[in-house]
Formats: sequence, structure tokens, C-alpha cells
Amino acid sequence: MQATLTIKLARVAIVIAIFALWEMLSRTGVVNPRLLPSASDTLATLGDLLQRSSVRTDLLVTATEVLAAFALAVPMGALIGFLIAENRYFADVAKPLLFFAFSIPKSIFLPMFILVFGVGFAQKVGFGFFSTIFIVIMSTTTAVESVKVEHLTVARSYGATRAQTAFRVYLPSMLPVLLEALRISMIFNLTGVILAEMYASRDGIGHQIATWGENFQMKQLLAGVVMVAAIAMTFNELIRWVETRCSHWRT
Amino acid sequence: MQPLANVTPLKPPPRAGAIEVRNVGQVFRTRSQDVVALEDVSLDIKPGRFVVLVGPSGCGKSTLLMMMAGLRAQTAGTITINGAPIPQPDPDRVGVVFQEASLFPWLTAEDNVEFPLALRGVAKPERRAKAQDALKLVGLEGFGKRHPHELSGGMKQRVSIARGLVQDPPVLLMDEPFAALDEQTRMTMGDELLRIWAATGKTVVFVTHSLTEAVYLADEVIVMSPRPGRIVDQLQVSLPRPRTYEMLSGDAFGALRDRIWRHIRKSA
Ligand SMILES: Nc1ncnc2c1ncn2[C@@H]1O[C@H](COP(=O)(O)OP(=O)(O)OP(=O)(O)O)[C@@H](O)[C@H]1O
Ligand SMILES: [Mg+2]
Repeated sequence: MQATLTIKLARVAIVIAIFALWEMLSRTGVVNPRLLPSASDTLATLGDLLQRSSVRTDLLVTATEVLAAFALAVPMGALIGFLIAENRYFADVAKPLLFFAFSIPKSIFLPMFILVFGVGFAQKVGFGFFSTIFIVIMSTTTAVESVKVEHLTVARSYGATRAQTAFRVYLPSMLPVLLEALRISMIFNLTGVILAEMYASRDGIGHQIATWGENFQMKQLLAGVVMVAAIAMTFNELIRWVETRCSHWRT
Repeated sequence: MQPLANVTPLKPPPRAGAIEVRNVGQVFRTRSQDVVALEDVSLDIKPGRFVVLVGPSGCGKSTLLMMMAGLRAQTAGTITINGAPIPQPDPDRVGVVFQEASLFPWLTAEDNVEFPLALRGVAKPERRAKAQDALKLVGLEGFGKRHPHELSGGMKQRVSIARGLVQDPPVLLMDEPFAALDEQTRMTMGDELLRIWAATGKTVVFVTHSLTEAVYLADEVIVMSPRPGRIVDQLQVSLPRPRTYEMLSGDAFGALRDRIWRHIRKSA
């Protein structure tokens, strides 16, 4: 998947074109600038916002919630997924149920989380966790199933211990799928936390964005969108970079 | 130790590489029924022999090989390698070569070959040296840094063989190692294997579906039949070595292949 220089240039050109179009639509008044502030104004506002300590606090709150939800959901989901994949009975019982659970839009449960946890840290982390764990369980199951029986037999025939089999066969076999799962889980996690913040919260960047929207502060609203999008993309690209380094052998 | 002059032991200790299979049976208990995969199989393989197992699909060739490797316990009878039973895999006595998919794709060729040594904590320099020797033996010198997906099917199989040889076990078990290769590569690999076998003096047990390959490679061909799996014939192949391509069209070769084919047609 090596992108050539021209392809990379084309991508940059498209991004620039989108910003240019945005700028133009707003400047020429084709779209009401009160509804769509220009790109340059938005970026300037973004710079301002990042200077403000209240916004930084909001970002920090959101980051803490996201990381807490992630740190809970990933190990727990991985453990459950592993048990399901390794145990025939567990798999037979749990798999269809997981598919059912996964198919339900998680947002309809948000009011319940507020009723149970009240508005605050626990509600947001809880909902982030809930939005993430199913995808983690399912991806881990897939990852375990991607371990080839032949490879396990080879390890056994050379007298590998359980720990050696875990670290030298299971882990490297699963790594590419796991990294991908991590990346996708983070998308779900971020969506969950920010949704929870926008729905009912006193702080966090999601809450801020919702407030700006309600107050018709379009510049701030758009700047917030650009900010969250940039953070999400950065994380995504980071893991994708690790992924390509770790799975060069997958063709 | 006292020198024991003029005393010969009653039974000489078996030389490294002897395989004895005595009245071995294997029954798989599945939910619906019991499958008798092997029944009363006995075999005596002398050290350094090249023995080929043939027979229709499902006659228990892989099962027998897995039991010789200590990867599966028989439900009846005994199997000894070097005179001792093999209740679990013992890489000092038995090396196993699987089909080409068995290489670890995330490791380079040399890391794959070193894998058995790494499991036993052999130090890196010694490991590397042994892997280089094994790769050289299979004709892959200089390809150690490549990953499996950068190698052809034949080269991958050479790596598998090198991995089986790296601990220098007296016995090498091979379950259809060339099945995934094209005809030409397969012939070349057969010759390569015979060269390696002659150079190392190992006992080889080799499973194949190709009757030509069987006769071409073997000192002895064991023909099996299914339901229940058992041995129906044992042929000594007395064609001279080194084997050559011209022998394939000879009368002696044809007669052996026909005899195997008649057994297989009867039981399949
Ligand atoms: N784990 C198992 N559970 C139940 N039955 C099994 C199992 N493994 C093998 N068998 C059965 O045992 C018999 C022998 O199988 P085996 O794989 O040894 O045959 P084979 O001669 O190697 O066949 P092939 O030429 O197709 O590789 C078959 O009838 C097979 O269905
Ligand atoms: Mg088989």
C-alpha cells in the first residue's frame, strides 16, 4: 500500500481544495457566513480556543474519560473474547448473544446510564466502556481464531511450553488483528464518551461543542469540530503506523 | 566404568533412528460414532532407512505419523524411537516437517529455522550458526533474511526441512511435504531431499499421495488401506541409488508402481 508521490500530492490537493471551497462559499456569501464562518476565521478561533484554560481543561477531562473507558474496556473485552474463543461451550452460548448486543445502537441506553450513574465522570466513562467492549470482544475472538492450527502443532512438536506458545505463536499471529481492533475500538470509545458529554454533562469538550451549538456560536462550534476530528485522526494514524510496521508480513 | 572384555550384551542397544511400531491402534471417539483410524499396525524401521507411507485418503497415514512424533497418543500398542517410547514430542529424537503453510510468516527464514533452538534457550550466536548450517544444507544460503512470503513454494519447503533438521534428530517425519508444489518443483525437491538424506543418514518416514514419488524416493513403501486403517503391503525398492529420472520409465519402476496402484484401487 505504498502511496506514490503523485497520489500523496493529490490527497493534499483535495484537502486544500475543500478548505478553499469552504473559505470561498463563506467569503462570497453564497452560504450565509453566520451559518458557515470562513475556514480562516474558524482556524483563528481554534487558535484562540486552545489558548483558553477552560478549553484545555475540557480537553483534559475528555481525554481522562476516554483513557479510563479504554483502559477498562480493552483488557476486559480482550479477556472475555479470549475465553470465548478458547472455550467451545462459551462460544456456542455467547456468540449469537454478542452479535445481538452488537447490533443494537448503544445510544438508546444513554438515558439509563444517566439514571444509574447520575451526570458526571462515571456516567461518561461507563457509557464509553459500554460502547467499546462489544467490539473489543468480537475482535479478540476473531484474532484468536486467526491463529493457525498448523502453527500450534509446529510449536508443540518442538516442545514449546504454554508460555512460549502464548508469546511466540498466539501473540504474533494475533497482533495485526489486535492493533486494528484497538484502532476501531478507539473510534467507538471516542464516539461514546463525546456523545455522553453532549447529551448531559457539565464539562468535557463534547459538552462545550453542544453548548456552542445551542448558543449559535458557529465559529467556536466549527473550531471544536476541527479540533476533535484532528485528535481522532492523529490517534488513528498513529496506530495505523504501528500496524504497518508490525504486519509487513501479511500480504 | 569397568571394561567388559569378551562380554557381549544379549540385546544390542538400538542404534539411533530405529522406529518400532507394535500392534498400534487408534480409535477416535466422536459424538456420533467411534472411528477406528488404525488397527493392529506393526512396523519395524531400521536406522537410516527411507520409508514412504502411501494409501487412500483417510487410511490413517497422518495419524500414524502424529503418533510417531508424540503429538498424539495411540489407544493401543506401543511405539518406540531409539528404543524408548515417545509419550510427548521430543525434538532431540524426532523432527517433523509439515506442509508449507507451517512456517511462521512473521519470522524470517533464519528465525523460522532457529525457532526450535530458541524454545530451548540456545544462545543467539550458536543458534544463528546452526541455522546457517541447516540453510546451507538445504541450498538456501543467503536467503536467511527473507520472510516466507518472499520465497517460492519450493524454497519455503526447504526452510521447513531446515527447521526439522536444525536440532539434528535421528528421525525425520514428513507429512506430504511437497503436496502444495508444482510437478517440476516437486521432482527437484525429491532429489534435494535424497541428497540431504544421503548426507545426514537420517531415518525418514515420508507420506505422499504420489505413487511415482513414493517409488522414486523409497527404500521401502508401506501401503495402507482404510476402514480400519492397516498395512496391506510392504515393498522393498531395490533400485540403485542415486535414483535418476531415467529410472521412472524402466520396467522395474513400473512394476512396483502398478503393484501399489492395484492395492489402492482395491481399497479406495
Ligand atoms: N481428530 C479426529 N477426530 C475424529 N476422527 C479423526 C480425527 N483425525 C482423524 N480422524 C479420522 O481418522 C482417519 C484417518 O485420518 P488421517 O488424517 O490419519 O488419514 P490420512 O491417511 O492422513 O488421510 P489423507 O491422505 O487425506 O491425509 C480418517 O477416517 C479420519 O476421518
Ligand atoms: Mg494426512
